[in-house]
Amino acid sequence: MKCPRCVQRIHRAAVSCPHCGFTLADADLKFGAEEVRIGRLTDGAGILRRGERERVAAALDRVTQRFPQVFVAIYTGALGEVSHIRQFGFWLLNRSAFEDVPVDLPNEAGILITIDPESKAAGMVFGYLLDPFLEEADTFACLSRAHAYWLEGLYADGIVRLLGHLEAVLVKRSKQARKDPEYFERKVLPPPRLGELVRRIREGHRPGGERAQKTGKAVVG
Amino acid sequence: MKVAVFTGWLFGMAATLATAAAYEEPLLPSRDPQERELLEGAGWVAGTAEDGPVGEVPSPEIPEKFLPAYFAERPTAFLIDPQGLLGAEDFRDRLSFLNYHASDSSIDLYVYMIGGDQEIPGQLREEEMSERFFSEGRPAAIVFYYLGAPQRSALYLSPSITDAISAVEQQRALASSVMLAFEKLDPAEQIESFLVQMSIRIYWMERMLSGAPPSTDELPMVSRRVEMRQVKELSKQTNVQSLQVMAMKYAFPAAISLVVLLLLIAVNHRLRRRVIYRFPEFEVEPRLGGTHAAGVGAVISFASAHVPPASQRDQVPDYLRRA
Repeated sequence: MKCPRCVQRIHRAAVSCPHCGFTLADADLKFGAEEVRIGRLTDGAGILRRGERERVAAALDRVTQRFPQVFVAIYTGALGEVSHIRQFGFWLLNRSAFEDVPVDLPNEAGILITIDPESKAAGMVFGYLLDPFLEEADTFACLSRAHAYWLEGLYADGIVRLLGHLEAVLVKRSKQARKDPEYFERKVLPPPRLGELVRRIREGHRPGGERAQKTGKAVVG
Repeated sequence: MKVAVFTGWLFGMAATLATAAAYEEPLLPSRDPQERELLEGAGWVAGTAEDGPVGEVPSPEIPEKFLPAYFAERPTAFLIDPQGLLGAEDFRDRLSFLNYHASDSSIDLYVYMIGGDQEIPGQLREEEMSERFFSEGRPAAIVFYYLGAPQRSALYLSPSITDAISAVEQQRALASSVMLAFEKLDPAEQIESFLVQMSIRIYWMERMLSGAPPSTDELPMVSRRVEMRQVKELSKQTNVQSLQVMAMKYAFPAAISLVVLLLLIAVNHRLRRRVIYRFPEFEVEPRLGGTHAAGVGAVISFASAHVPPASQRDQVPDYLRRA
Protein backbone atom coordinates (compact mmCIF):
# COMPACT_ATOMS: atom_id res chain seq x y z
CA MET A 1 0.00 0.00 0.00
CA LYS A 2 1.38 3.30 -1.07
CA CYS A 3 0.55 6.90 -0.64
CA PRO A 4 -0.89 8.35 -3.87
CA ARG A 5 1.13 11.52 -3.41
CA CYS A 6 4.57 10.55 -2.16
CA VAL A 7 4.39 6.88 -3.35
CA GLN A 8 5.90 5.77 -0.03
CA ARG A 9 4.76 2.64 1.71
CA ILE A 10 2.08 3.30 4.30
CA HIS A 11 0.42 1.30 7.01
CA ARG A 12 -2.70 -0.62 6.06
CA ALA A 13 -4.89 1.47 8.34
CA ALA A 14 -3.03 4.77 8.12
CA VAL A 15 -5.35 7.69 8.65
CA SER A 16 -2.89 9.87 6.82
CA CYS A 17 0.41 9.27 5.09
CA PRO A 18 3.09 9.15 7.80
CA HIS A 19 5.59 10.55 5.27
CA CYS A 20 3.74 13.44 3.66
CA GLY A 21 0.52 13.62 5.64
CA PHE A 22 -1.65 13.11 2.57
CA THR A 23 -5.37 12.38 2.99
CA LEU A 24 -8.42 12.49 0.78
CA ALA A 25 -9.00 16.00 2.02
CA ASP A 26 -5.82 17.09 0.26
CA ALA A 27 -7.14 15.61 -2.97
CA ASP A 28 -10.46 17.32 -2.38
CA LEU A 29 -8.64 20.61 -2.29
CA LYS A 30 -7.24 19.90 -5.73
CA PHE A 31 -10.17 18.25 -7.46
CA GLY A 32 -13.21 19.24 -5.43
CA ALA A 33 -15.02 17.78 -2.46
CA GLU A 34 -18.36 17.22 -4.12
CA GLU A 35 -19.64 13.97 -5.57
CA VAL A 36 -19.04 13.52 -9.26
CA ARG A 37 -21.54 11.70 -11.43
CA ILE A 38 -19.89 9.89 -14.30
CA GLY A 39 -20.45 6.84 -16.46
CA ARG A 40 -18.57 3.63 -16.14
CA LEU A 41 -16.84 4.50 -19.38
CA THR A 42 -16.13 8.19 -19.43
CA ASP A 43 -14.06 9.24 -22.42
CA GLY A 44 -13.39 12.82 -21.41
CA ALA A 45 -10.39 13.03 -23.70
CA GLY A 46 -12.32 11.70 -26.70
CA ILE A 47 -9.81 9.06 -27.59
CA LEU A 48 -12.33 6.31 -28.33
CA ARG A 49 -14.42 6.12 -31.47
CA ARG A 50 -17.96 4.77 -31.54
CA GLY A 51 -17.08 1.21 -32.47
CA GLU A 52 -14.21 1.23 -30.03
CA ARG A 53 -16.42 2.41 -27.22
CA GLU A 54 -18.72 -0.54 -27.82
CA ARG A 55 -15.80 -2.95 -27.80
CA VAL A 56 -14.49 -1.51 -24.57
CA ALA A 57 -17.96 -1.51 -22.99
CA ALA A 58 -18.38 -5.16 -23.94
CA ALA A 59 -15.04 -5.97 -22.31
CA LEU A 60 -16.13 -4.14 -19.17
CA ASP A 61 -19.41 -6.09 -19.14
CA ARG A 62 -17.52 -9.33 -19.46
CA VAL A 63 -15.51 -8.58 -16.33
CA THR A 64 -18.67 -7.96 -14.35
CA GLN A 65 -20.26 -11.15 -15.73
CA ARG A 66 -17.34 -13.27 -14.60
CA PHE A 67 -16.82 -11.39 -11.34
CA PRO A 68 -20.28 -10.25 -10.23
CA GLN A 69 -18.86 -8.50 -7.16
CA VAL A 70 -16.56 -6.32 -9.24
CA PHE A 71 -16.88 -3.59 -11.84
CA VAL A 72 -14.30 -1.76 -13.87
CA ALA A 73 -14.56 1.89 -14.82
CA ILE A 74 -12.47 3.85 -17.25
CA TYR A 75 -11.86 7.54 -17.26
CA THR A 76 -9.87 9.38 -19.90
CA GLY A 77 -8.99 13.03 -19.61
CA ALA A 78 -6.20 15.55 -19.47
CA LEU A 79 -4.95 15.80 -15.91
CA GLY A 80 -1.93 18.02 -16.22
CA GLU A 81 1.10 16.74 -14.39
CA VAL A 82 1.76 13.04 -14.37
CA SER A 83 2.22 12.93 -10.66
CA HIS A 84 -1.42 13.91 -10.16
CA ILE A 85 -2.78 10.81 -11.85
CA ARG A 86 -2.50 8.67 -8.68
CA GLN A 87 -4.13 11.30 -6.54
CA PHE A 88 -6.82 11.86 -9.16
CA GLY A 89 -7.63 8.16 -9.42
CA PHE A 90 -7.76 7.85 -5.64
CA TRP A 91 -9.99 10.89 -5.39
CA LEU A 92 -12.28 9.89 -8.30
CA LEU A 93 -13.00 6.40 -7.02
CA ASN A 94 -13.92 7.87 -3.63
CA ARG A 95 -15.95 10.83 -4.87
CA SER A 96 -17.67 9.55 -7.97
CA ALA A 97 -21.09 8.04 -8.39
CA PHE A 98 -21.14 5.71 -11.41
CA GLU A 99 -24.49 6.16 -13.03
CA ASP A 100 -24.56 2.97 -15.08
CA VAL A 101 -23.23 0.66 -12.39
CA PRO A 102 -25.81 -1.39 -10.48
CA VAL A 103 -26.65 -0.03 -7.11
CA ASP A 104 -25.60 -3.21 -5.38
CA LEU A 105 -22.05 -2.62 -6.56
CA PRO A 106 -20.50 0.05 -4.37
CA ASN A 107 -17.29 1.81 -5.26
CA GLU A 108 -15.48 -0.53 -2.88
CA ALA A 109 -15.89 -3.15 -5.62
CA GLY A 110 -14.57 -0.87 -8.33
CA ILE A 111 -11.38 -0.82 -10.33
CA LEU A 112 -10.72 2.51 -11.96
CA ILE A 113 -8.40 2.93 -14.89
CA THR A 114 -7.39 6.48 -15.58
CA ILE A 115 -5.80 7.39 -18.88
CA ASP A 116 -4.32 10.78 -19.62
CA PRO A 117 -3.54 10.98 -23.35
CA GLU A 118 -1.97 14.41 -22.94
CA SER A 119 0.72 13.50 -20.48
CA LYS A 120 0.63 9.93 -21.85
CA ALA A 121 0.23 8.24 -18.52
CA ALA A 122 -2.23 5.77 -17.10
CA GLY A 123 -2.92 4.46 -13.62
CA MET A 124 -5.11 2.02 -11.75
CA VAL A 125 -6.77 2.21 -8.38
CA PHE A 126 -9.10 -0.26 -6.73
CA GLY A 127 -11.63 -0.34 -3.93
CA TYR A 128 -11.38 -1.93 -0.53
CA LEU A 129 -13.08 -5.14 -1.68
CA LEU A 130 -10.05 -5.98 -3.80
CA ASP A 131 -7.51 -4.62 -1.34
CA PRO A 132 -6.44 -8.09 -0.13
CA PHE A 133 -6.32 -9.58 -3.60
CA LEU A 134 -4.68 -7.03 -5.86
CA GLU A 135 -1.18 -5.72 -5.51
CA GLU A 136 0.67 -2.98 -7.20
CA ALA A 137 2.58 -5.55 -9.25
CA ASP A 138 -0.69 -6.94 -10.61
CA THR A 139 -1.86 -3.56 -11.77
CA PHE A 140 1.55 -2.86 -13.25
CA ALA A 141 1.37 -6.10 -15.24
CA CYS A 142 -2.06 -5.14 -16.55
CA LEU A 143 -0.92 -1.69 -17.62
CA SER A 144 2.19 -3.17 -19.23
CA ARG A 145 -0.01 -5.25 -21.53
CA ALA A 146 -1.53 -2.09 -22.92
CA HIS A 147 1.70 -0.14 -23.20
CA ALA A 148 2.59 -1.17 -26.76
CA TYR A 149 -0.91 -0.32 -28.03
CA TRP A 150 -1.09 3.00 -26.29
CA LEU A 151 2.30 3.94 -27.71
CA GLU A 152 0.71 3.61 -31.14
CA GLY A 153 -2.41 5.48 -30.08
CA LEU A 154 -4.53 2.30 -30.13
CA TYR A 155 -6.29 3.06 -26.88
CA ALA A 156 -9.23 0.71 -27.29
CA ASP A 157 -6.99 -2.22 -28.18
CA GLY A 158 -4.80 -1.46 -25.20
CA ILE A 159 -7.77 -1.30 -22.86
CA VAL A 160 -9.19 -4.60 -24.12
CA ARG A 161 -5.79 -6.22 -23.72
CA LEU A 162 -5.47 -4.77 -20.23
CA LEU A 163 -8.89 -6.06 -19.23
CA GLY A 164 -8.05 -9.50 -20.58
CA HIS A 165 -5.02 -9.70 -18.36
CA LEU A 166 -6.96 -8.28 -15.43
CA GLU A 167 -9.49 -11.09 -15.81
CA ALA A 168 -6.69 -13.64 -15.69
CA VAL A 169 -5.26 -12.05 -12.54
CA LEU A 170 -8.66 -11.96 -10.87
CA VAL A 171 -9.34 -15.60 -11.76
CA LYS A 172 -6.04 -16.58 -10.20
CA ARG A 173 -6.65 -14.56 -7.07
CA SER A 174 -10.18 -15.88 -6.72
CA LYS A 175 -8.94 -19.45 -6.88
CA GLN A 176 -6.21 -18.72 -4.37
CA ALA A 177 -8.71 -17.05 -2.05
CA ARG A 178 -11.00 -20.06 -2.26
CA LYS A 179 -8.14 -22.36 -1.29
CA ASP A 180 -6.67 -20.22 1.46
CA PRO A 181 -8.96 -17.36 2.51
CA GLU A 182 -7.08 -16.88 5.79
CA TYR A 183 -3.99 -15.80 3.90
CA PHE A 184 -5.85 -12.91 2.34
CA GLU A 185 -7.74 -12.12 5.52
CA ARG A 186 -4.48 -11.73 7.40
CA LYS A 187 -3.43 -9.09 4.89
CA VAL A 188 -6.27 -6.80 5.92
CA LEU A 189 -6.56 -7.57 9.62
CA PRO A 190 -6.41 -4.46 11.75
CA PRO A 191 -2.95 -3.96 13.23
CA PRO A 192 -2.59 -5.05 16.87
CA ARG A 193 -2.89 -2.29 19.37
CA LEU A 194 0.28 -1.15 21.09
CA GLY A 195 -0.62 -2.69 24.45
CA GLU A 196 -1.44 -5.99 22.78
CA LEU A 197 1.87 -5.92 20.94
CA VAL A 198 3.84 -5.35 24.13
CA ARG A 199 1.97 -8.14 25.85
CA ARG A 200 2.80 -10.59 23.06
CA ILE A 201 6.46 -9.63 23.10
CA ARG A 202 6.68 -10.15 26.85
CA GLU A 203 4.92 -13.49 26.58
CA GLY A 204 7.32 -14.57 23.91
CA HIS A 205 10.35 -13.73 26.06
CA ARG A 206 9.03 -15.36 29.21
CA PRO A 207 10.54 -18.79 30.01
CA GLY A 208 7.98 -21.46 29.17
CA GLY A 209 6.05 -18.98 27.12
CA GLU A 210 4.05 -19.74 24.02
CA ARG A 211 6.96 -19.27 21.62
CA ALA A 212 9.39 -21.26 23.75
CA GLN A 213 6.94 -24.12 23.95
CA LYS A 214 6.52 -24.14 20.18
CA THR A 215 10.20 -24.01 19.30
CA GLY A 216 11.45 -26.02 22.27
CA LYS A 217 14.36 -23.62 22.75
CA ALA A 218 15.47 -21.98 25.98
CA VAL A 219 14.59 -18.32 25.96
CA VAL A 220 16.43 -15.78 28.03
CA GLY A 221 13.94 -13.87 30.21
CA MET B 1 90.91 -58.25 -37.24
CA LYS B 2 91.39 -59.24 -40.87
CA VAL B 3 92.03 -62.85 -39.82
CA ALA B 4 88.78 -62.91 -37.90
CA VAL B 5 86.82 -61.58 -40.88
CA PHE B 6 88.42 -64.11 -43.21
CA THR B 7 87.68 -66.96 -40.80
CA GLY B 8 84.06 -65.87 -40.61
CA TRP B 9 83.84 -65.74 -44.39
CA LEU B 10 85.24 -69.28 -44.61
CA PHE B 11 82.71 -70.59 -42.13
CA GLY B 12 79.90 -68.88 -44.04
CA MET B 13 80.97 -70.36 -47.35
CA ALA B 14 81.26 -73.83 -45.82
CA ALA B 15 77.75 -73.58 -44.42
CA THR B 16 76.36 -72.44 -47.77
CA LEU B 17 78.01 -75.30 -49.63
CA ALA B 18 76.75 -77.83 -47.10
CA THR B 19 73.19 -76.51 -47.55
CA ALA B 20 73.49 -76.67 -51.36
CA ALA B 21 74.72 -80.24 -51.20
CA ALA B 22 71.79 -81.25 -49.01
CA TYR B 23 69.20 -79.78 -51.47
CA GLU B 24 67.64 -82.21 -53.97
CA GLU B 25 65.91 -80.85 -57.10
CA PRO B 26 62.48 -82.40 -57.92
CA LEU B 27 62.48 -84.72 -60.91
CA LEU B 28 61.27 -83.39 -64.25
CA PRO B 29 58.08 -85.00 -65.62
CA SER B 30 58.85 -87.83 -67.95
CA ARG B 31 56.64 -89.48 -70.56
CA ASP B 32 55.93 -93.16 -70.69
CA PRO B 33 58.00 -94.64 -73.55
CA GLN B 34 55.01 -96.52 -74.97
CA GLU B 35 52.89 -93.42 -75.01
CA ARG B 36 55.73 -91.52 -76.66
CA GLU B 37 55.93 -94.11 -79.40
CA LEU B 38 52.23 -93.92 -80.03
CA LEU B 39 52.31 -90.14 -80.25
CA GLU B 40 55.35 -90.10 -82.53
CA GLY B 41 53.65 -92.64 -84.73
CA ALA B 42 50.72 -90.29 -85.09
CA GLY B 43 53.05 -87.47 -86.22
CA TRP B 44 53.75 -85.86 -82.90
CA VAL B 45 57.07 -84.05 -82.64
CA ALA B 46 58.64 -83.14 -79.33
CA GLY B 47 58.45 -79.41 -78.67
CA THR B 48 55.19 -78.87 -80.58
CA ALA B 49 51.69 -78.53 -79.21
CA GLU B 50 50.09 -81.80 -78.32
CA ASP B 51 46.70 -80.97 -79.87
CA GLY B 52 46.20 -81.97 -83.41
CA PRO B 53 48.36 -83.81 -85.76
CA VAL B 54 51.55 -82.29 -87.08
CA GLY B 55 51.12 -79.96 -90.07
CA GLU B 56 47.30 -79.80 -89.79
CA VAL B 57 46.41 -76.17 -88.96
CA PRO B 58 42.69 -75.80 -88.12
CA SER B 59 40.88 -73.62 -90.61
CA PRO B 60 39.15 -70.56 -89.09
CA GLU B 61 36.30 -70.87 -91.57
CA ILE B 62 33.31 -73.13 -91.25
CA PRO B 63 34.12 -76.35 -93.10
CA GLU B 64 32.66 -76.35 -96.58
CA LYS B 65 30.68 -79.49 -96.03
CA PHE B 66 28.50 -77.67 -93.49
CA LEU B 67 27.92 -74.56 -95.55
CA PRO B 68 24.90 -75.85 -97.47
CA ALA B 69 23.24 -76.89 -94.24
CA TYR B 70 23.79 -73.41 -92.95
CA PHE B 71 23.18 -71.18 -95.89
CA ALA B 72 21.53 -73.05 -98.74
CA GLU B 73 17.96 -72.29 -97.88
CA ARG B 74 15.67 -70.79 -95.30
CA PRO B 75 16.04 -72.94 -92.23
CA THR B 76 13.15 -75.10 -91.21
CA ALA B 77 14.10 -75.14 -87.51
CA PHE B 78 14.86 -72.20 -85.31
CA LEU B 79 18.19 -73.60 -84.20
CA ILE B 80 20.72 -74.34 -86.96
CA ASP B 81 23.63 -76.40 -85.74
CA PRO B 82 24.82 -78.74 -88.48
CA GLN B 83 28.25 -79.04 -86.88
CA GLY B 84 26.72 -80.44 -83.71
CA LEU B 85 28.44 -77.84 -81.58
CA LEU B 86 25.81 -78.19 -78.89
CA GLY B 87 25.32 -81.42 -77.03
CA ALA B 88 22.17 -83.30 -77.86
CA GLU B 89 20.46 -82.33 -74.66
CA ASP B 90 21.45 -78.69 -74.90
CA PHE B 91 20.34 -78.61 -78.53
CA ARG B 92 16.97 -80.03 -77.57
CA ASP B 93 16.52 -77.55 -74.76
CA ARG B 94 17.50 -74.54 -76.83
CA LEU B 95 15.32 -75.60 -79.72
CA SER B 96 12.47 -76.16 -77.37
CA PHE B 97 12.90 -72.67 -76.01
CA LEU B 98 13.02 -71.17 -79.49
CA ASN B 99 9.86 -73.04 -80.45
CA TYR B 100 8.19 -71.72 -77.33
CA HIS B 101 9.34 -68.22 -78.24
CA ALA B 102 7.93 -68.59 -81.73
CA SER B 103 4.60 -69.68 -80.33
CA ASP B 104 4.49 -66.71 -78.00
CA SER B 105 5.94 -64.00 -80.21
CA SER B 106 5.15 -62.59 -83.59
CA ILE B 107 8.86 -62.35 -84.37
CA ASP B 108 10.63 -65.66 -84.79
CA LEU B 109 14.12 -66.10 -83.49
CA TYR B 110 16.54 -68.09 -85.68
CA VAL B 111 19.92 -68.98 -84.23
CA TYR B 112 22.87 -70.13 -86.28
CA MET B 113 25.37 -71.93 -84.08
CA ILE B 114 28.95 -71.33 -85.10
CA GLY B 115 32.15 -72.34 -83.35
CA GLY B 116 33.71 -69.73 -81.16
CA ASP B 117 36.87 -69.56 -83.27
CA GLN B 118 35.20 -70.09 -86.63
CA GLU B 119 34.56 -67.62 -89.37
CA ILE B 120 31.80 -67.45 -91.89
CA PRO B 121 33.39 -67.67 -95.33
CA GLY B 122 34.04 -64.27 -96.82
CA GLN B 123 31.87 -64.85 -99.89
CA LEU B 124 28.82 -65.20 -97.69
CA ARG B 125 27.31 -62.07 -96.30
CA GLU B 126 24.98 -62.65 -93.40
CA GLU B 127 23.01 -59.50 -94.04
CA GLU B 128 22.36 -60.41 -97.65
CA MET B 129 21.45 -63.91 -96.63
CA SER B 130 18.97 -62.63 -94.04
CA GLU B 131 17.31 -60.47 -96.65
CA ARG B 132 17.14 -63.32 -99.09
CA PHE B 133 15.71 -65.97 -96.81
CA PHE B 134 13.59 -63.94 -94.44
CA SER B 135 11.99 -61.31 -96.70
CA GLU B 136 8.87 -63.41 -96.77
CA GLY B 137 6.84 -65.05 -94.07
CA ARG B 138 6.75 -64.12 -90.45
CA PRO B 139 9.17 -61.46 -89.33
CA ALA B 140 12.29 -62.90 -87.85
CA ALA B 141 15.36 -62.03 -85.87
CA ILE B 142 18.43 -63.92 -87.04
CA VAL B 143 21.32 -64.43 -84.66
CA PHE B 144 24.71 -65.78 -85.59
CA TYR B 145 25.92 -67.09 -82.27
CA TYR B 146 29.52 -68.08 -81.74
CA LEU B 147 29.63 -70.76 -79.10
CA GLY B 148 31.92 -69.76 -76.24
CA ALA B 149 32.42 -66.31 -77.74
CA PRO B 150 29.09 -64.53 -77.37
CA GLN B 151 30.73 -61.17 -78.00
CA ARG B 152 31.16 -62.14 -81.66
CA SER B 153 27.46 -62.69 -82.12
CA ALA B 154 25.57 -60.76 -84.75
CA LEU B 155 21.89 -59.89 -85.02
CA TYR B 156 19.95 -59.25 -88.20
CA LEU B 157 16.27 -58.57 -88.69
CA SER B 158 14.10 -59.58 -91.58
CA PRO B 159 13.47 -56.71 -94.02
CA SER B 160 9.85 -56.31 -92.93
CA ILE B 161 10.83 -55.03 -89.52
CA THR B 162 14.28 -53.56 -90.12
CA ASP B 163 12.87 -50.10 -90.71
CA ALA B 164 10.67 -50.17 -87.61
CA ILE B 165 13.40 -51.28 -85.23
CA SER B 166 16.28 -48.85 -85.12
CA ALA B 167 19.87 -49.99 -85.36
CA VAL B 168 20.44 -48.59 -81.91
CA GLU B 169 17.71 -50.76 -80.50
CA GLN B 170 19.10 -53.78 -82.28
CA GLN B 171 22.55 -53.06 -80.92
CA ARG B 172 21.13 -52.60 -77.47
CA ALA B 173 19.33 -55.94 -77.66
CA LEU B 174 22.45 -57.70 -78.74
CA ALA B 175 24.64 -56.00 -76.15
CA SER B 176 22.31 -56.83 -73.28
CA SER B 177 22.07 -60.44 -74.42
CA VAL B 178 25.85 -60.72 -74.66
CA MET B 179 26.20 -59.17 -71.24
CA LEU B 180 23.83 -61.71 -69.75
CA ALA B 181 25.65 -64.52 -71.50
CA PHE B 182 28.96 -63.43 -70.01
CA GLU B 183 27.57 -63.87 -66.54
CA LYS B 184 27.96 -67.61 -67.12
CA LEU B 185 31.16 -69.53 -67.71
CA ASP B 186 29.85 -72.64 -69.38
CA PRO B 187 29.23 -72.07 -73.12
CA ALA B 188 25.98 -74.03 -72.95
CA GLU B 189 24.75 -71.87 -70.09
CA GLN B 190 25.95 -68.78 -71.93
CA ILE B 191 23.75 -69.45 -74.92
CA GLU B 192 20.82 -70.20 -72.64
CA SER B 193 21.13 -66.80 -70.97
CA PHE B 194 21.75 -65.16 -74.33
CA LEU B 195 18.57 -66.58 -75.83
CA VAL B 196 16.42 -65.75 -72.85
CA GLN B 197 17.51 -62.14 -72.91
CA MET B 198 17.22 -61.95 -76.69
CA SER B 199 13.69 -63.29 -76.44
CA ILE B 200 12.87 -60.50 -73.96
CA ARG B 201 14.32 -57.88 -76.23
CA ILE B 202 12.34 -59.24 -79.14
CA TYR B 203 9.21 -58.84 -77.06
CA TRP B 204 10.13 -55.17 -76.65
CA MET B 205 10.62 -54.94 -80.37
CA GLU B 206 7.15 -56.35 -80.83
CA ARG B 207 5.80 -53.62 -78.59
CA MET B 208 7.60 -51.04 -80.64
CA LEU B 209 6.15 -52.50 -83.79
CA SER B 210 2.65 -52.26 -82.40
CA GLY B 211 3.32 -48.60 -81.60
CA ALA B 212 2.96 -48.95 -77.83
CA PRO B 213 5.85 -48.07 -75.61
CA PRO B 214 7.17 -51.08 -73.82
CA SER B 215 5.58 -51.40 -70.43
CA THR B 216 7.71 -53.10 -67.87
CA ASP B 217 4.61 -54.32 -66.07
CA GLU B 218 3.62 -56.55 -68.96
CA LEU B 219 7.00 -58.02 -69.67
CA PRO B 220 6.90 -61.76 -69.38
CA MET B 221 10.54 -61.93 -68.45
CA VAL B 222 13.02 -59.27 -67.61
CA SER B 223 16.72 -59.07 -67.38
CA ARG B 224 18.32 -59.07 -63.99
CA ARG B 225 19.16 -55.37 -64.03
CA VAL B 226 15.70 -54.46 -65.17
CA GLU B 227 14.34 -56.82 -62.60
CA MET B 228 16.36 -55.20 -59.84
CA ARG B 229 15.25 -51.78 -60.97
CA GLN B 230 11.68 -52.97 -61.08
CA VAL B 231 11.97 -54.49 -57.67
CA LYS B 232 13.22 -51.18 -56.29
CA GLU B 233 10.49 -49.26 -58.03
CA LEU B 234 7.91 -51.77 -56.93
CA SER B 235 9.14 -51.60 -53.36
CA LYS B 236 8.92 -47.81 -53.51
CA GLN B 237 5.45 -48.03 -54.97
CA THR B 238 4.51 -50.58 -52.36
CA ASN B 239 5.77 -48.33 -49.59
CA VAL B 240 3.87 -45.37 -50.97
CA GLN B 241 0.77 -47.50 -51.44
CA SER B 242 1.01 -48.90 -47.94
CA LEU B 243 1.37 -45.37 -46.58
CA GLN B 244 -1.62 -44.30 -48.63
CA VAL B 245 -3.62 -47.27 -47.37
CA MET B 246 -2.58 -46.49 -43.81
CA ALA B 247 -3.44 -42.83 -44.31
CA MET B 248 -6.81 -43.77 -45.77
CA LYS B 249 -7.39 -46.15 -42.92
CA TYR B 250 -6.54 -43.74 -40.14
CA ALA B 251 -7.27 -40.39 -41.78
CA PHE B 252 -10.98 -40.43 -41.07
CA PRO B 253 -10.74 -41.48 -37.40
CA ALA B 254 -7.87 -39.04 -36.92
CA ALA B 255 -9.88 -36.22 -38.48
CA ILE B 256 -12.88 -37.09 -36.33
CA SER B 257 -10.70 -37.23 -33.22
CA LEU B 258 -9.15 -33.89 -34.09
CA VAL B 259 -12.53 -32.28 -34.63
CA VAL B 260 -13.84 -33.74 -31.38
CA LEU B 261 -10.74 -32.56 -29.54
CA LEU B 262 -11.10 -29.06 -30.97
CA LEU B 263 -14.77 -29.04 -30.06
CA LEU B 264 -13.97 -30.15 -26.52
CA ILE B 265 -11.34 -27.42 -26.22
CA ALA B 266 -13.79 -24.83 -27.56
CA VAL B 267 -16.57 -26.00 -25.24
CA ASN B 268 -14.20 -26.08 -22.30
CA HIS B 269 -13.02 -22.58 -23.17
CA ARG B 270 -16.58 -21.30 -23.38
CA LEU B 271 -17.54 -23.00 -20.14
CA ARG B 272 -14.53 -21.56 -18.40
CA ARG B 273 -15.43 -18.15 -19.73
CA ARG B 274 -18.87 -18.54 -18.20
CA VAL B 275 -17.61 -19.61 -14.81
CA ILE B 276 -18.37 -17.01 -12.18
CA TYR B 277 -15.66 -16.19 -9.70
CA ARG B 278 -16.27 -14.73 -6.30
CA PHE B 279 -14.07 -13.20 -3.68
CA PRO B 280 -14.46 -13.50 0.05
CA GLU B 281 -15.35 -10.16 1.59
CA PHE B 282 -13.26 -8.94 4.50
CA GLU B 283 -13.59 -5.91 6.71
CA VAL B 284 -10.98 -3.39 5.64
CA GLU B 285 -10.21 -0.34 7.70
CA PRO B 286 -10.33 2.85 5.64
CA ARG B 287 -7.05 4.59 4.87
CA LEU B 288 -6.09 8.15 4.09
CA GLY B 289 -9.66 9.20 4.62
CA GLY B 290 -10.92 7.33 1.59
CA THR B 291 -14.41 5.97 2.19
CA HIS B 292 -14.45 3.55 -0.73
CA ALA B 293 -10.92 3.00 -1.96
CA ALA B 294 -7.32 3.51 -1.12
CA GLY B 295 -5.76 0.79 -3.25
CA VAL B 296 -3.37 2.84 -5.27
CA GLY B 297 -1.98 0.73 -8.03
CA ALA B 298 0.73 1.35 -10.58
CA VAL B 299 1.12 4.23 -12.99
CA ILE B 300 2.70 3.74 -16.37
CA SER B 301 3.96 6.23 -18.89
CA PHE B 302 3.61 5.56 -22.58
CA ALA B 303 5.18 8.78 -23.77
CA SER B 304 8.18 7.13 -25.40
CA ALA B 305 9.05 3.76 -26.81
CA HIS B 306 12.49 4.21 -25.29
CA VAL B 307 10.99 3.93 -21.82
CA PRO B 308 9.61 0.40 -21.73
CA PRO B 309 7.44 -0.87 -18.88
CA ALA B 310 10.38 -2.85 -17.53
CA SER B 311 12.18 0.38 -16.70
CA GLN B 312 9.12 1.72 -14.89
CA ARG B 313 8.72 -1.20 -12.54
CA ASP B 314 10.24 0.45 -9.47
CA GLN B 315 7.70 3.11 -8.75
CA VAL B 316 9.31 5.26 -6.12
CA PRO B 317 9.17 9.01 -5.78
CA ASP B 318 11.77 10.94 -7.73
CA TYR B 319 13.54 12.21 -4.66
CA LEU B 320 14.22 8.61 -3.59
CA ARG B 321 15.81 7.65 -6.88
CA ARG B 322 19.58 7.50 -7.15
CA ALA B 323 21.19 10.24 -9.17
